[in-house]
Amino acid sequence: MVSIEVVLSWVLRTGVMAGAVLMAIGLFAGANVIWLGVFILALTPLLRVTIAGLLFLSQKDVKYFIIALYVISVLVIGILIKF
Amino acid sequence: MDPFIITAILGIGALAGLIGAMLGLGGGVFMIIFFILALNIPAHQAVALSLLAVIASSSMGGSVYVRDKMTNVKLAMSLETCTVTGAVLGAFVALLMPVTFILVILGCVLFYASFMMLRGKRSEETTSVKDGRLSICGEFYDATKKCDVKYTTVRMKMGLFVSLVAGWVSGIVGIGGGVIMVPIMNLIMKIPMKASAATSNFMVGVTAAASAFIYFNKGLVDLYMAVPTVIGVMIGAYIGTRVMVRVESLSLRRLLGVVLTFFGFVLLLKAGGILVW
Repeated sequence: MVSIEVVLSWVLRTGVMAGAVLMAIGLFAGANVIWLGVFILALTPLLRVTIAGLLFLSQKDVKYFIIALYVISVLVIGILIKF
Repeated sequence: MDPFIITAILGIGALAGLIGAMLGLGGGVFMIIFFILALNIPAHQAVALSLLAVIASSSMGGSVYVRDKMTNVKLAMSLETCTVTGAVLGAFVALLMPVTFILVILGCVLFYASFMMLRGKRSEETTSVKDGRLSICGEFYDATKKCDVKYTTVRMKMGLFVSLVAGWVSGIVGIGGGVIMVPIMNLIMKIPMKASAATSNFMVGVTAAASAFIYFNKGLVDLYMAVPTVIGVMIGAYIGTRVMVRVESLSLRRLLGVVLTFFGFVLLLKAGGILVW
């Protein structure tokens, strides 16, 4: 079985690369593409916590699944809240 | 935009990413100083860009450290519950407060960070005795010592409280909170330096992301400055992770201690309206 570490490493690297590449393309393609890159980059940590949470759940590690759920909810509040 | 400014952001970004990944800081502390003092960007916009830099640095550096099993994922997730909570609260406070408040908080953070770095103290003392049920065990391979290092965290309650403060400060000044967390994790929680740096590096991205969208939703991110920031930091962070496993960074710490003290004074003078440019 693939370890949590390897999966999370892959998620982080893919997210940051995808975001950065889109941002670089956006310099030529326009502000909307840069914005999409920023959005993907800034969602990478949320994706990382979500996947970690699911992996903990699949290992029946309820304590860390709940911890991940809490972190996810605060991140989602931070994303959705208008101020 | 001026190609000179783009090059400067790329360069400083790479330097910030490099040092940030080596010491587990995320690099935000260098970016925010550069944005505010060198480029004269309004504080709230500078914080938004800096948070983005921290996310990029943390994701890039974190991906290497976590794969090399330097990061303690369970410890990171536990402390993140407090850092994200603090970060959301901090962003609200920052948006309500005048710019002077942000500069003063940042100045204080720089003095704290310099003090910790100049003391040069680090703990390699580890324990295997649990300190209450919150304690978390960890293990990693130290490439310098060429052996496995096992440790158990102590004083988790204190760690959680400091995480809340670090998150709050991060939400205000956009630094991710690594400069606050690393010394506490190492000296108080008895986590070996390399594991502290790697775990902190992993955490700061989540901490930064918790307040980043609050700034983005206010339209505070300059997209064209964001591009060189993110690319520079990413490259630096990647190199930094490769260097950290091999070098002991005591002299780097001393140098940074002096540099950050200097900028701390400059920021306070700027906050007090004594230095204007």
